[in-house]
Formats: sequence, C-alpha cells, structure tokens
Amino acid sequence: MSDYVLQAQDVAIHYGGVKAVDGVSLTLERGQIHGLIGPNGAGKSTVIDAITGRTRLTRGKVMLGGEDVSELGTTERRMRGLSRSFQRTSIFGQMAVRKQVELASHKMGVKDSDADADAVLKELGLTPLADVTAEDLGYGEQRRLDLALALVGRPSVLLLDEPMAGLSVKESLDLAKHLKALTSRWDVSVLLVEHDMDVVFGISDVVTVFELGRVIANGAPAAVRADPRVREAYLGSAA
Amino acid sequence: MSNLRVGMSTAAALAAGAAVALLVSSGTVLSLLTQAVIYAVFATGIALLLRQNGMVSFGHALFFGVSGYAVGIVLQLKLMPAELAVLVTLAGIALAAFAVGLVIVRVPGVAFSMLTLAIGQMFFLTASRSRGLTGGADGMNIDWPATLFGVPQSLLARPAVMFMVCWSVLVLVMLLLVLVLRGRFGAITEAVRDNEERARFIGIRTLMPRAAVYALSATVAGVGGLLSALNTGFVSPEILHWSVSGVGLMMVVVGGYKALWGPPLGAIVYFLARDVLGDYANHWMAIFGIALIAVIVFSPTGIAGALQRLFKGRKTVLAAGAVAARH
Repeated sequence: MSDYVLQAQDVAIHYGGVKAVDGVSLTLERGQIHGLIGPNGAGKSTVIDAITGRTRLTRGKVMLGGEDVSELGTTERRMRGLSRSFQRTSIFGQMAVRKQVELASHKMGVKDSDADADAVLKELGLTPLADVTAEDLGYGEQRRLDLALALVGRPSVLLLDEPMAGLSVKESLDLAKHLKALTSRWDVSVLLVEHDMDVVFGISDVVTVFELGRVIANGAPAAVRADPRVREAYLGSAA
Repeated sequence: MSNLRVGMSTAAALAAGAAVALLVSSGTVLSLLTQAVIYAVFATGIALLLRQNGMVSFGHALFFGVSGYAVGIVLQLKLMPAELAVLVTLAGIALAAFAVGLVIVRVPGVAFSMLTLAIGQMFFLTASRSRGLTGGADGMNIDWPATLFGVPQSLLARPAVMFMVCWSVLVLVMLLLVLVLRGRFGAITEAVRDNEERARFIGIRTLMPRAAVYALSATVAGVGGLLSALNTGFVSPEILHWSVSGVGLMMVVVGGYKALWGPPLGAIVYFLARDVLGDYANHWMAIFGIALIAVIVFSPTGIAGALQRLFKGRKTVLAAGAVAARH
C-alpha cells in the first residue's frame, strides 16, 4: 500500500486540437511539498484545475487517498480533503475575515467551527484582522486569507497556485516558512505551483518541471536543478 | 444586530407608523403613503435579489401582479376562505419561484435580467388576453369577504387603518428579513454572491441558496401585490407590465439596496416626488430621471448609503473629538 495522498494518472486536457496537458502523471506523498514549475502556458495551473475538478479530464484519473475522484465535482472533492488556492486572490470581499473563515469551517462540517476558524486565523497571523472586511485588507493579508479559506476543515491535500505572486520578498519568505511548518503541524501535503525558484527549490521535497503540457523532469530539487533539459527549457544556463 | 436592538427598532417603527396614522388627517395623503408603503414592500423584494444574489430582475412585477390575480380568481371561484387563499397564494409563489429559480439563476448577468423580463411579459400578455378568467385588459374586481383575518372591510376602508395594516406588514417583512439574513443563510448567500467559485471550494452547493433567495424575493414582492389588491380591490394587466418592475428598480436605486431600509426609503421618495413634482410638471418623470442619474453618479449606494456614510463620518468625528478632549 503506497503512502500517496494524491495521484494524477495519465492526465490529459485537450481543447479541440490543443493539448494543454497531455499524459501527465504526478504523485504526492503524505507530508510532502511537491513543486511544479515551468514556463507560462506549460500546463501547471491546468493540471491543478483538473485535479480539483474545475476542468474536465479528457483522459486519465485522479486518485485521492486511494479513491478515484475523477467523476466528482469540485465541492465533493473539497469535502474529501482536496483543497486549493487560486492564482488570483479568491476571497469574499464584502465579508469580515473571521465570518468567512468560520462559514467555510462550518460548511466543511467541522463541529466546533468557531474553534477551527480561530485556529486557522492564528496560524496565518490573521487574528488581529478578524473583524476587518476582506476588501479593506492589504494584498499580502488577502493572500493569507485566501490560504486560510483553503486550510479550514483540515484538508489532506493543498494545491497552491502561485501563492507568492505579488508578495514582497519578506512576505514570500514568511509564507514559505509557514508552508513548510504547515505540512507537519497540520498534516497536510502540498502541491505548489510557483515561479519563485528560491522558494520552490528551498521548500519542496520533489520538483516536477512542465513544458508544453508534458513533464520533462521530476525528482529531488538538486537533481532537477542540475538537469540540462530543465536548464535549457526554463531555468536558463546561469541557474 | 442584537435581539434587543432588533426588537427596539421594530417597536419604534410600529410606533412611528401609528403616529402617522393618528396625526395625518388628510385621506389623500394617507392614501399616497399607503401606496408608497405597498411599493416599499415590492421594492424590498427586488432589492433582496440584488443584495443577496447580485442579480437584477426586470420581471418582479409578475409576482407583484400574480398574487392579486391568484387571490381574485380563487375568491371568484369560491375555492377556499380568503385567509387561506392569501396563504396558499404566497406559498404557491414561493414554490413556483423556487422551481423557476433553479433554472434561471444559473444564467449570469444581463441574460438573467432578460429572462425575467421575458417570463414577466409572458404573464402580462396571458392576463391581458384571458378574458374569461382574468377579465382581460379590463382587469378584475376582487371579492374580498366582509372580514379578513378578523378585520371588517368597513374598517379597512378607512385610509388610516389601511395605512397601518400596510405599514405593519412592511415592518414585519423587514423584521423577518433581518432575522433570516443575519444568520447562516445570509452569510452563505453573501459568499455565493461575492465569489461563487470560492464558495464551491469551501463546500457550499451554490445553486440552492441562489434559488432560495429568488423565491424569497418573489414572495416578498407577492406580499406587496396582495396589499395592493387589498387596497384597491382590483387587479389589471398593467400591474404585470415590465415598467412596474422598472419603477420598483428605480426605487431600489434611489433608496439604495445595501441597507434593508433603502428600498422603502426609495419608494417613499418616489411617491412624494411624483406627488410634489406632478403638481408643477406633466413630465415629472423627466425631473425624477435627472435625480436618478445624480444619485447613481454621486452615491451609487443610494440615499441610504449616503446617510450611512454621513452618520459614520459624524460618529468618527465625535469619537476623535472625545479622544482629543481626554488628552
């Protein structure tokens, strides 16, 4: 029995003749951070959309904790512990911070949703902003709230789509530290799409490189960084 | 809002209505205010859809008009007592709107508005042409019984009593909405309105809440229609016309939809403007239209929004003054 919490098997997403993703297989082990990198348009976000059910699979299978969830909708997958954040901050703009986190927790079926919401807010340093309306938060705070909404209900898998986008260097480093700590403290495994190479290679246990909808390299960060195909396709010779 | 504050606001609103009914002696003015209150209930229904679902309906006149027709037909055919007919009509509107809502709330933006317009106009034409059942373009009288919910018709015929009945219903509708929307249902519908995709990703099935809001807003509009039928004892196809929905929307825009009391304020302003401006100009609507543009440009959240900002600003200034005085 494998310790995979998530498996994408031979996943393909085709739009007519365009093969956005073609034959991608990924695995995520418990407690692991798995970085996905590649140039824009390589298919990283499309893979995340496919895994979460936002985009329909043309071919392939998505297994969550050994269960085939390929035919389930986004809400059903979320209820089974598959959570995500979005490339663009996705929060409830006109609602207070705590209210929306507590609502999310309640809808996830957490018995003590108040305590769960408080724990999530504390984890992400949002407790002092609990009563602030989300649209009045700063950008970095909104990104943290986005992550908070993804964390409620203690998901087993967290898919993060460019969580550092638009953050300052300090904010990115803080968030990276947080993510690393989360995997053990909250027993969550992370699939991370990110363009900040220092972050990806700094905190990932495994890195997969995409190009034109296909995987061109996969393995430990150091090995991937040294791979000539990766240097040529994405990192550049100076990397 | 705490229970105490809700209770006190309700009592104050009822007392204010009673004061108006007692102090205003002119039957004409009371009649005008009664019409304004009836439309306030109608506009509250339209605004509810906008506030909780972010959707604009051009077809809520359907529910405003069809409630009067439904009660009128049931009473004409002597199918059941009037009190039961009122309750069955509202339940029927809620169920029918929920069923229709399950289909049409999936359609986003302008397309949704056009669908509501099409459905509304379909009923307008049906009512206009079904002469045997609805009286066609001439409309139909409603045979209200001698007493309704224990209140004699002779009493309801007094403008002050009719005003107080309509005002009490408005206050009751507002109270129910406050209680419903401050709970989990309100939070869920706000979440779906703000960000439907994220709502799905926190475990909310988004269709049901949207359809439920549509049904609730239709039922509130139906309550307004029943009051109108009670007030005039008559219903005609004009009440189903899209322009009635347009008038309701104007009230919502002028009053503001973010505060629950905005649409009733808009309805009162509309009727007062119609009465006052109508004395000076035949085309008073043109002047009102300019006022509408001014509100949209300078206060997109309506008069209620402007008043809220004003009071918030004053509170801030007073608080700052108090802090400065302490130092």
